[in-house]
Amino acid sequence: MKQKNSLPAVFLTPAMGILAVLALVPTAYAIYISFQNRELSRPDGSLIGLANYIDLFSDRRFINAIGVSLTWEAVTVGMTLLIAVGLGILLFECVSPRTRNLLALLFLVPVILPRVSAAFVWKFAFHPLYGIATYPYKAITGQPLDLLSNPATALATVALVDVWQWGLFFAVIVLKLLETLPPQPFEAARLDHARTWEIYAFIALPMLKAPLISLAFVKMIESLRAFDLIYVMTRGGPGIATETLDMYAFSQGFIESGRISYASSMAVLMMIATSIAFTFIWKRVQ
Amino acid sequence: MTAHTLGRLIGRLILALAAFSAVFPMFWTALNAFKNRVDIVTPTPLFIFEPTLDNFAYVLGRESVFAGLVNSLLISGAAVLIGAMLGLPAAYAIARYPNRWSRDIQFFVLSLRFLPPVAIAIPLMVIWLDFGLYDTRLSMIVTYSLLTLATIIWLSVPAFARVPKEVEEAARVDGYGPYAIFFLIALPIALRSLIGAVAFAFVLVWNEFLIALMLTTSDAKTLPIVASELTQLGRDVPWGILNASVVLLSIPPLLFIGVLSGMLNSAFKRKTQ
Repeated sequence: MKQKNSLPAVFLTPAMGILAVLALVPTAYAIYISFQNRELSRPDGSLIGLANYIDLFSDRRFINAIGVSLTWEAVTVGMTLLIAVGLGILLFECVSPRTRNLLALLFLVPVILPRVSAAFVWKFAFHPLYGIATYPYKAITGQPLDLLSNPATALATVALVDVWQWGLFFAVIVLKLLETLPPQPFEAARLDHARTWEIYAFIALPMLKAPLISLAFVKMIESLRAFDLIYVMTRGGPGIATETLDMYAFSQGFIESGRISYASSMAVLMMIATSIAFTFIWKRVQ
Repeated sequence: MTAHTLGRLIGRLILALAAFSAVFPMFWTALNAFKNRVDIVTPTPLFIFEPTLDNFAYVLGRESVFAGLVNSLLISGAAVLIGAMLGLPAAYAIARYPNRWSRDIQFFVLSLRFLPPVAIAIPLMVIWLDFGLYDTRLSMIVTYSLLTLATIIWLSVPAFARVPKEVEEAARVDGYGPYAIFFLIALPIALRSLIGAVAFAFVLVWNEFLIALMLTTSDAKTLPIVASELTQLGRDVPWGILNASVVLLSIPPLLFIGVLSGMLNSAFKRKTQ
């Protein structure tokens, strides 16, 4: 069994080589560009040191984007887990195994949809005049309801779509996790006349603490990819109410001014922040 | 009626609402795709109308949509193929031949997921421009291979780890070499989960948006980009056409729902043992 074997090297080297090249070259290049003053219209730039980074900290739109991104992370991760745990327990508790499997399949539909599709479907549903989601409000009050053009509600409305996609999906995973638990602690608690919510709050969920933290971790990573939804639904607007960091970097680099280097310095800061945060969380989860 | 049965009833009601919310939006979009514009722009939503195929005919007849479809199929297909050919062997090596770097390799693969897509897309755009490969299918395939490779490795390691060691042991006793064991034993046994992993990678790149938006302008545009451009049309919006293109974009991922749900089941079932 311990004899020398070429398989690990033969199987691992090409994949790891390609991954390393494809990941490290752009990363290094992003850092390099961020020290320049390169723009889309001019192919060459000169090195200007840390000027882009210094500018960022007096850029109010950048500060705003940090706030929007952090709010987005907190709201989508929190709501997704809340809905997932709630619906997961209901699936486990209230319906027969056969219905359970059917519902689990239906709950997968939103997350499989392309983000662009999900964004459009809901953008049209929230259309103030023809939308089906805003129709009841319009029918009752006679007023159109324009959630996406209102700075106070736009971000929450986009977040709703994200939570719709991920909350239902994670509910299925919570259900599968509950199914893997041994039944004895539940029965013992029932014999002691524990109420249903007490069984979940004090027995089932604590037993699932580790996988639930992993789920939160996955959702944190996925929530960083808000761009598609926001791009289709609001383009960062109204004003800058839904402008996340990636949206702002994109509009600086491509739409408004073509300042690639400036956009790149933002991307580098995001990369550093997420790498530090997630490495830290990962080590603690392990 | 006891409090318990009442609670169950409310619970079922909530679940029914959630299931309704999961499927109704897409159903409504599909319905709108068969409507004439006058039946969509109504003060009250219409459920009964005269269906039309004009929207789909228009969408499929448009050169940009057709080109986007071909690009999406070619780019996603090639990237998934590369990801599977290189990723499956790598995942097997990680699962079966652990060494002191295995954990670091797994963390490296996962950490690729931390990278903000913008951070990858901006430098890649500059790099592909410098190579003269910007807005080509080749550059998109190479870029997406990063996503498919990382995803397939990450999802296939547990699939290979679940293959019973005894079976491989028995094959070794029968004189199979390490490569034969991989191709003839481990690969077939883990196949179901592996198909799930590959399907997931396909859905991921099929749905990918930000990188495609930055790395393509005309020739290599993928379907999500074409569809999003349609959704940004001006005031006199052709809603029926939009709905039809969204339906078209969503069909391929939805075809995989059975495979993906099967993968989910097998991933969690075995944990009980």
